[in-house]
Amino acid sequence: MTLTAFLILVAIGFLVGGFGALAGIGGGVILTPVVALYYGLPMHQAIGVSLVSVIATSTATSALYVEQHVTDIRLGMTLELATTLGALIAALMAAHIDRRTLALMFACFLAYSSASMVRRAWYSRNENEEEPVHDYTVRNYPLGMLASLIAGGFSGLLGIGGGPIKVPVMYLFMQVPLRVATATSNFMIGVTAATSAVVYWGRGDVNLGVAAPLVAGVFAGSLLAARIKHRIPAFYILILLIGVTAWFSAQMFYKVATGGFR
Amino acid sequence: MKRDTPREERLVALTLKIGAYSAFACIVVGLVLHHAAGFGNGVTAAGMIVLLATPVLRIIVAGVQFLRERDLQYVLVSLGVLGIVMLAYWLGV
Repeated sequence: MTLTAFLILVAIGFLVGGFGALAGIGGGVILTPVVALYYGLPMHQAIGVSLVSVIATSTATSALYVEQHVTDIRLGMTLELATTLGALIAALMAAHIDRRTLALMFACFLAYSSASMVRRAWYSRNENEEEPVHDYTVRNYPLGMLASLIAGGFSGLLGIGGGPIKVPVMYLFMQVPLRVATATSNFMIGVTAATSAVVYWGRGDVNLGVAAPLVAGVFAGSLLAARIKHRIPAFYILILLIGVTAWFSAQMFYKVATGGFR
Repeated sequence: MKRDTPREERLVALTLKIGAYSAFACIVVGLVLHHAAGFGNGVTAAGMIVLLATPVLRIIVAGVQFLRERDLQYVLVSLGVLGIVMLAYWLGV
């Protein structure tokens, strides 16, 4: 790989890690289409690369959220029982799913993520980051476990974190405050993505030449962003990410429809 | 339900921090060596392995702390998660 191509990957990682951490998303939803559409990586390799990047974002940012007392470690680890199981099953299944089907599923998930960020942008207008988290009792564990199993499955299948599935369920049905739900989901993503990443690694679907520069950029971007997060309103970053995910979704649908991803 | 204690939070955050920074350092050093001297892929790969191992280490650290607090329910939860991740390692590599 030329030095230029290498530096572009570092820069992409930096931007995705940075904006991802600012908006509270893992960034897998953006990295997979970038490497699949513009670097021509086969879908399975794009997902493998994205999985390791997602672990980097989660690890870099969750240390900070744990220190800020907004992560519920016990709730996170309980739900991890389901996310890791879902991730393991899905990662094993992914080998038997053809590239076009994966690309089509990914395009659908991108559209869903874009829509779910519209809702988050709407809420974030009157969300106060400085306010202390109020006391809460976690309810509805069975539903939370089910959502986590599904989120883990999507993570292992598509190389994403699964935040857009877990966060609304924790917030709306388990009565966990939104900030705690977001931080706890982010905390769970590291273990979940590591579970499926190992399966992809074993199959040779983690391309180190592409993954290493991306991960280096992601680390730098998300470590920096987690520190300046409180000074930047999430609203504008969400608007940007809504546009980016909607655009990638349209591009992937178009490419599948015109016979791409073979 | 029991709340997380400050000690648990400190230990888990410390594990994640050490893992993140050492993986980052290994990957950067490996990549710089690769482009400057033509070797160093082993260091990069080691960084990737640290990255994949950090979440597992975090489960163990939390589990041991739960054990010291005699919080058996969450010791079992930690063992369960660890078991599934180990199964993935066994099936994957």
